[in-house]
Amino acid sequence: MSASALQKAILALDRATTTSELVEATQTICGLKDLEAAPTLIKVLGFNNPAVGAVATQGLIALGRDVVPILVVNLDVGNYGARAWVVRAIATLRDPRGLDLLEHALNADIAPSVRRSATRGLAEMELEGSNVSKDFSRCCEALFKAAADDEWIVRYAAAFGLEQRFGHNSTNTGLKTQAIAHLEELSSNSEAVKVVKQRAKLALQRLQAG
Amino acid sequence: MEPLSEHQVIANLRQQEDASDRYYAAWWLGKMRSQHPDAVPLLLGTLSVLSEDPVNDEDRGVALNAIRALGLLLNPAANDPLIQLLSSTDYTVREEAARSLGAMQTKEALPQMCHLLRSGPAASGGEQVGSSTLNEPCEALLEALGNIGVSSPDVLNVITPFTNHPRPLVRAAACRALLQLMKEQRWAVELEKLLQHPEPLVRRGVLLDLGATGWTAALPAIESASVEASLKLVALRGLAEQSDDTKVLDAMDRLL
Repeated sequence: MSASALQKAILALDRATTTSELVEATQTICGLKDLEAAPTLIKVLGFNNPAVGAVATQGLIALGRDVVPILVVNLDVGNYGARAWVVRAIATLRDPRGLDLLEHALNADIAPSVRRSATRGLAEMELEGSNVSKDFSRCCEALFKAAADDEWIVRYAAAFGLEQRFGHNSTNTGLKTQAIAHLEELSSNSEAVKVVKQRAKLALQRLQAG
Repeated sequence: MEPLSEHQVIANLRQQEDASDRYYAAWWLGKMRSQHPDAVPLLLGTLSVLSEDPVNDEDRGVALNAIRALGLLLNPAANDPLIQLLSSTDYTVREEAARSLGAMQTKEALPQMCHLLRSGPAASGGEQVGSSTLNEPCEALLEALGNIGVSSPDVLNVITPFTNHPRPLVRAAACRALLQLMKEQRWAVELEKLLQHPEPLVRRGVLLDLGATGWTAALPAIESASVEASLKLVALRGLAEQSDDTKVLDAMDRLL
């Protein structure tokens, strides 16, 4: 049943030419809530059409965490637009299987908005299983790196992220000391952008109160 | 490639043989907010070619970068030379000079800016013959008047007619300036209406205008605008930096 509905929807997508037709066809596919539609939605992310990409990303996120391994495998690394949407979806799903991908995006992506999304993802990822402590360190190291990014919005995201990471889970005192040092740097006059300073100060206040 | 040192960049701007090195050097000094004592004099030195006729294209490019850099360095030594450029016959030179003088909040530039706009939306704001360019760089001038921040009756009288200009981005620039100068909600309401414009380019421009005003009450409109998150973050930075309200920062956190 659902397979044939999916096939019909994919056919409609193939025939769509205008943005509104593409949006409508993508919405239909999203509405099926079918994990088998994920590769098609990932293909849609590469169309370089922001309206359609936004719909497909919401559809992928709505499929839940089961979609993360499919995203990681099907990512078209050569397509900047698609990469940006995938990073955003993985960041939103907070699934630790996306850690490698987010780490790589933060280190290597030239687009500040992608590094920003990756930083947010590394801040909010829900770590679990036997690797918790190692993964926690990796997230922290990545956030320290983000705190030294050239782009103000990535440093802003780092300040937000360090607060998230150490707000409730502060068992690792060595990393926490480093996190505080990075936040102090971001809130000092060596930081040129006022809003980054403001956010880092707020993070410090909240961490020291908690 | 090794990143250039400030010393090298200064030398590159000083030499006359390679125009592309000068072009990049003029940009770099602004981008890096150079405090080198020779930076401002050298940048000002590039402007003299603009009074030649005809102007060499490469020299003009260097000079335009220098005008932008001076707007970032905020050195009052640039006030008078930039005010003189408001009388240039070159539209882009007038436009960039207006932007930099606005960023520098140069009050001495107000009479000349008002003079350029005084003939109103139909004349100053009319289109040049055979071109879609307006007679004067109205957006840049209106934004500069708002940034400079003097709300004298003369300035307000010059700006107000442009709230009825046929182009939405010129209307937005006028509303933005009036909101900055008068702090009256009605101009924010006009901007929020323009934020619903069907054209994405207009929505983006208006969003940045709202952010620049620092009008915190615009927060919900900015958050819900149909514009990409990256630009909303830039607009919200404008609000956050002019306010102590942490709810702006909370909104930014949600958009990351």
